Amino acid sequence: MRLSFLNAERRTLMPVHRSRREPTVAELLLIILEGAWSIVVGLYVTFINFWRTKVTDRYPHRDPALNWQPRPGYRGDFALITDRETGKLRCIGCQQCQNICPDGCILVVPEGKGKERHPKEFYIDAGLCMYCGLCVEVCPADALTMTPDYETATDDPRKLVRDIDYLRERGMEYDEVLRVQ
Amino acid sequence: MTTETRTRTEELTINMGPQHPSTHGVLRLVVTLDGERVVQVIPDIGYLHSSMEKIAERLTYQQYLPYADRYDYLNAMGNELAYVMAVEKLLGIEPTPRCQFIRVMMAEMNRIASHLVYFATLGNDVGAVSVFLYCFREREAILDLFEAASGQRLLYHYLRIGGLRNDLPDDFCAGLGHFLSYFPSRIDEYDKLLTKNRIFRSRMEGVGHFSAEDALSYGVTGPCLRGCGTDYDIRRADPYCVYPQLDFTVPTFEECDAMARHLVRQEEMRQSVRILQQCLEMLPEGDVSVKVPRRIKPDPGEAYARVESPRGELGCYIVSDGSEKPYRLHWRAPSFYNLQAYPVMCKDAWVADLVAILGSVDIVLGDVDR
Amino acid sequence: MSLLSQISNWLRLTAEGLCQRWGIPLLFVDLLAWMVAVAVIIGLVLLIVLIFVYLERKVSGYIQTRLGPMRVGPIGIFQTAMDALKLLIKEDIVPRGADKILHTLGPILFFVAAMLGYVVIPWDDKAIIAKYVDLNIGILYVTAVGSVGIIGIIMGGWGSNNKWSLLGAIRSAAQMISYEVPMLLAIICVVMQAESMSLGRIVTGQQGAYLSGWYCWRPWLWLPLILFFIAATAEVNRVPFDIPEAESELVAGYHTEYSGMKFALFFLAEYANVFVVGLIGATLFFGGWLSPLGHPDPLHIPGFFWLMAKAFAIVIFLMWIRWTLPRLRVDQLMALAWKLLLPAGFLAIFIVAVVLLYI
Ligand code: SF4
Ligand code: SF4
Repeated sequence: MRLSFLNAERRTLMPVHRSRREPTVAELLLIILEGAWSIVVGLYVTFINFWRTKVTDRYPHRDPALNWQPRPGYRGDFALITDRETGKLRCIGCQQCQNICPDGCILVVPEGKGKERHPKEFYIDAGLCMYCGLCVEVCPADALTMTPDYETATDDPRKLVRDIDYLRERGMEYDEVLRVQ
Repeated sequence: MTTETRTRTEELTINMGPQHPSTHGVLRLVVTLDGERVVQVIPDIGYLHSSMEKIAERLTYQQYLPYADRYDYLNAMGNELAYVMAVEKLLGIEPTPRCQFIRVMMAEMNRIASHLVYFATLGNDVGAVSVFLYCFREREAILDLFEAASGQRLLYHYLRIGGLRNDLPDDFCAGLGHFLSYFPSRIDEYDKLLTKNRIFRSRMEGVGHFSAEDALSYGVTGPCLRGCGTDYDIRRADPYCVYPQLDFTVPTFEECDAMARHLVRQEEMRQSVRILQQCLEMLPEGDVSVKVPRRIKPDPGEAYARVESPRGELGCYIVSDGSEKPYRLHWRAPSFYNLQAYPVMCKDAWVADLVAILGSVDIVLGDVDR
Repeated sequence: MSLLSQISNWLRLTAEGLCQRWGIPLLFVDLLAWMVAVAVIIGLVLLIVLIFVYLERKVSGYIQTRLGPMRVGPIGIFQTAMDALKLLIKEDIVPRGADKILHTLGPILFFVAAMLGYVVIPWDDKAIIAKYVDLNIGILYVTAVGSVGIIGIIMGGWGSNNKWSLLGAIRSAAQMISYEVPMLLAIICVVMQAESMSLGRIVTGQQGAYLSGWYCWRPWLWLPLILFFIAATAEVNRVPFDIPEAESELVAGYHTEYSGMKFALFFLAEYANVFVVGLIGATLFFGGWLSPLGHPDPLHIPGFFWLMAKAFAIVIFLMWIRWTLPRLRVDQLMALAWKLLLPAGFLAIFIVAVVLLYI
């Protein structure tokens, strides 16, 4: 006996192994049982997951005990490193970072000649930056780095333009972290 | 006296997207409906157009690399691989074996991550929301590994011309091994929860049918083509990197419907796990980068490199005029070709099928619009 | 005598006394009593719905290995209350070209229809509400007012001047009407067993030692039980039957164009409807307010509590289903109702009739 009424207009409601013919009564019962079983199995899966450890990261209310940090090498906010001995920025104002930056978000204004060369102004527009890290890689003096600081959100886009003082401060702040790396 | 009642029916044109929740980004579909049946569907693309190819013409070879990430953002490593391979072809550089292995590992991890997003969004589209979260949970583990290696979670900029940004961190292999140890059981879980589910199957089986001939004539590649029973995978058809040394199968299904495409992806995740396990075993020691000149100036000429992205054949075509910048760069974007076949698949579909089929084609709008 | 009825009796006597002293006709007391009852029901329903929504978020969160709401109040218990408050003070947007009257009337009608269902629920043996309205056709009344809600949905969908809303409303109407039939067939089986349509009588018919009298233990009522839950889930538009508001297909279905309080009305009413399903399901198959510890309850736990516990158990099961299954397509949904559930319903009636006649 064929149950032709099970054809939902064009396709079968519950195709048996995707065949185009209508299922027989026995097949239909099998489909229903199998369907019910698949639902039970699905319920079982969600049930186990109910008891699994929760993965929610309760940022910004993280458990301080965890002391969560990005992985080393994370590309976050920028910093200029100060040389420990001389107390001056390592940067030699060569402008290579400015030239390599694909977005053109770095502006270095150098001052002085030869060994005395140092940056007078140093701007990075973090709002324009895509954190590719090319500027850091290209730097011959290892002066420019990226800190693991990822919380750079602000309410004013102008604050995203980092100037030389900001970068120097950042470098001081992250001195230890960066040196370890 | 007789009264005559005449019902007049009209076709309904509705606009699906660009802000529709399940068009996977900013795709606009102009849908003509007859009741709940689809008469015609016209994809309207370009909302995410970002001049990816034109940008290349004003940037040097190194500078363009981070942009390659951004074009198909779910497969950043794969894009980098295609681009880097094309440039290396131009320059005639051969990367070190360790580098090759790591590249393959990254590409395969990214394939898993991308397929997980596919699973997640498809589950969401057909109404099984929990799968969405489960898949993202597993994807998170992969992203953590990527972060450890490259310092970023989505747009890695990890591959470099002639090598890599840096070698793998020490704990990477252990972390990956751990992930691979539990991930197959998670795939089984999705299989039970979603793929084997009767309702899901009745939503996917026989839906979005299109034949292998259609697929080939539309240039459809990837899981969509393999779901039509055609065994075509760049990793096999035109092997690159170390794929010839690896043992894996290319899953194909004959049914030509949305379910077949779904099963192909599910099986591919398992195969990727196999590949990754082999890579972990075979990973040689040594340098990861070869020396390349600071200024990359390839000789005039052209190069085409293609890789198997999670969505299909991803090609990068570069023409060099001998200067520091590419003269022309073109992406062969798999999603774009696959989307062309979408109206064919949607013939006679129901409204609800539209999203299921779109999900099964697995487009990424960044890839479509470039 | 339960505490509730003691209080109500005391209130009533005081009110009557006051009326006599001030010379107000006693009719006012009745009116007042009705108003209080209505206020209590609405307040209760809203409270239940708030708890229910919070529970749903938590359960869905836990199923999805998340934590659910955590921010407002300890473990987020005030989250839904805050959300309701937020919706209250939000701007009410009526789209251009919308039918203003229908657009406003739709959610109100839907909400009222959802509330009406609560009137006849036998909360307890002698609870005030049941005393006033133990309709002799209680179960029929519940299904009847349940279908009134459809009109509200169609009004909302049509009045929104949005094609997605219209599609959602049409789907919803088709679905609700289709699933009414198997649901009624399942209910008829229970009515046959209880030999009454009064919900109170259906409950008292299930008395027995501990929980042995419940209808869910009678094998010939298993098929109606399953049918009832499938059909009722579809009635209240929950996954896997949530196609009227399938957010991945129809954006948000019939309430796409609603905001602020009107949206809140739809939302609350929907959850209220789901809870009615829990209550009715508990009443029909799981002994309503009857205590599983024996009758009368040895611990003097009010029947209200037991009914609530059962209803919440059912509702949590529905949540579990919801967060597990994908949704059906519209044609499959119709096919399921008319081609599978309907014959199964007739079969169920047949089985129950045979059993009741000959066994
Ligand atoms: S990270 Fe990239 S985009 Fe940002 S400043 Fe450096 S080079 Fe420019
Ligand atoms: S930061 Fe480095 S690359 Fe940039 S100007 Fe200074 S030294 Fe040169």
